[in-house]
Amino acid sequence: MSHTVTPAPPAGHPPSVAPGGAPAPGSPDRSGSAPPLRKRLRGAAAALRSPAVVALAPLTLVVGVFFVAPLAGMAIIAFTVEADDGGTALGLDHFLGLDSHVRAVRNSVLVSVVGSLTAALIGALTAFCIAQIRSKRLDSVVAVFSSVLANDGGAPLAFSFIVTLGNTGLVYGMLGLDAIGFSLYSWQGLVVMYQYFLIPTMVMVTLPTFVGLRKEWMEANTALGGSRTTFWRRVGIPIAMPALLGGWILLFGAAFATYASAAVLIGTGGFPLVPLSIASLLGSSLGAGGQSAAMALGVSMVVIAVVVLFLFNRLQKRSARWLQ
Amino acid sequence: MAAVIRHSRWLPIVAVAVYVAVPVLCSIYYATFPGGSFSLSAYSVIADDASLASAASRTLLIAVFTIVVLVMTLVPAVVAIHLWAPRLRPVLEILCTLPLVVPPIALAAGVVALLRWGAQQGRDSAAAQISQFVQHPDLPLILVGTYVVLCLPFTFRSIDAGLRVIPLKAMVEGSASLGAGIWGTVWRVVLPNIRGPVLFAIFFATAVCLGEFAIAATLNRETIPVWLFTVSNTDFRASIAIAVLLNLTTWVLLLVATLSAGRFSALGRAKRTAPELASDDDAAAGPSAGATAGPVTAGTPAGATTTPQKELR
Repeated sequence: MSHTVTPAPPAGHPPSVAPGGAPAPGSPDRSGSAPPLRKRLRGAAAALRSPAVVALAPLTLVVGVFFVAPLAGMAIIAFTVEADDGGTALGLDHFLGLDSHVRAVRNSVLVSVVGSLTAALIGALTAFCIAQIRSKRLDSVVAVFSSVLANDGGAPLAFSFIVTLGNTGLVYGMLGLDAIGFSLYSWQGLVVMYQYFLIPTMVMVTLPTFVGLRKEWMEANTALGGSRTTFWRRVGIPIAMPALLGGWILLFGAAFATYASAAVLIGTGGFPLVPLSIASLLGSSLGAGGQSAAMALGVSMVVIAVVVLFLFNRLQKRSARWLQ
Repeated sequence: MAAVIRHSRWLPIVAVAVYVAVPVLCSIYYATFPGGSFSLSAYSVIADDASLASAASRTLLIAVFTIVVLVMTLVPAVVAIHLWAPRLRPVLEILCTLPLVVPPIALAAGVVALLRWGAQQGRDSAAAQISQFVQHPDLPLILVGTYVVLCLPFTFRSIDAGLRVIPLKAMVEGSASLGAGIWGTVWRVVLPNIRGPVLFAIFFATAVCLGEFAIAATLNRETIPVWLFTVSNTDFRASIAIAVLLNLTTWVLLLVATLSAGRFSALGRAKRTAPELASDDDAAAGPSAGATAGPVTAGTPAGATTTPQKELR
């Protein structure tokens, strides 16, 4: 996070430095060093009035106040431990105290792994079929719709699934899903519901790769005596692999972070998930213990998210090498 | 045999399409066919329930402020990294990408921590007053700020790509030689030339404001999604009815956003010469665009539309 703070100082200071730089410093004993100091201050003031700083300041301020500061505050609370003598120290106690949330973590991991694997398989297969049809019109329609659906996943999604697959849902009755023991209000339901935005995300991420597999490569493979299987084993899969893996990791991250639809579907009881635990800890407890546990869980989620982004980036770059 | 293979390609696509369509159709049916016959009675909640009206007006107010703050802060910043501070680009890129992966509930937790810390500083302290001010029930500025942050990953990418394909430097220099100031140029020359990305930002931000649940619910501010959740306990059919409307509105907004991002930049590109176009295209669309370009080049609507736009025109 240290990088993110670099642009902040110039942006934070203008009100304090700019007026101070114009009038001369009052005290006489400083007058000897005043010219260089004043010049330096004036130079700083001029730099602060430069269009670049003026243009970057508002965004830096917004990001600093509404993004960096909350996350920093969260991290501070998560890593601060109250000692017995009333003092504070840095420590991992809040993280070690999370074992009461093991069930939430296990559930979150289960739902995210199953959900992302299912969506990765279905999404990749769908993207592959779309690419095989080789219609530019279909490609573009799918690109637009998958990007729209990938951004879906709020409270309305959960409502539409309750109506469809809930215990009195229209499709639930029609397919007789109670006979196979399916319940929307369990990990199965979450997995099914998450597919709604995970599959389109996978299609969106992998479609360019499948479309980018060139016909010439297939022809070259055939000319050299390779079969369809050889092509996929030696060319197709290796090229698509980074995109597939990256897509799957991205889906895992998305599923792990999903809160709104899970909160509406599950509520606070029954089936704990990490995001739901954070919300209920924040909501219930004015006591510091609950809050710092929520912050520790929050920090863990951010760490997972950053790892996901990093891995996805690496894989995406590898797959981009072949697609021009 | 060949025909069977050709048609079986459509199978997964149709299956996914059905899976996407069924919940929406079920919701519409549930909302408009109570007891088997068509009726819009569930929608009477719009007229009857004052809390919905206040939630809606609060949400729209938040949306308007979010759009204004987003465009007013983001456009100058991206112009600045294009014109004067290319070195800050990686920093800004990382800052604008991180909100994509930081879960909203974690951000909400951080915001709660900050606000509680402010409130604990004593009743009359500046921190306590600021904390109270940004949580004002009519216009929770804390939501405006966090929603701007949530919009950044997608909108930054879009506006950055938009500025890449216009001759920004020449515009600013030409405009300056005619006596215009830099901000006059941005307002009158640059902004009209990145209409598409700016429209994308506006529609996308609206969709975010209409859909965001985690932060608003954690802070107990009743926006439309939070109202839905509250009212579902007492009047489930009404909440479904409004959820359908909200869902379809969000889709339309995102659709318009995606299309406008594609269409206007396509027009802009068509005016330019071919070799320039090719290099710009690669720079804007290729995942090699920057250290953190990964998720968004593939992941944003803006990134997704860089290819399809010619078809959709």
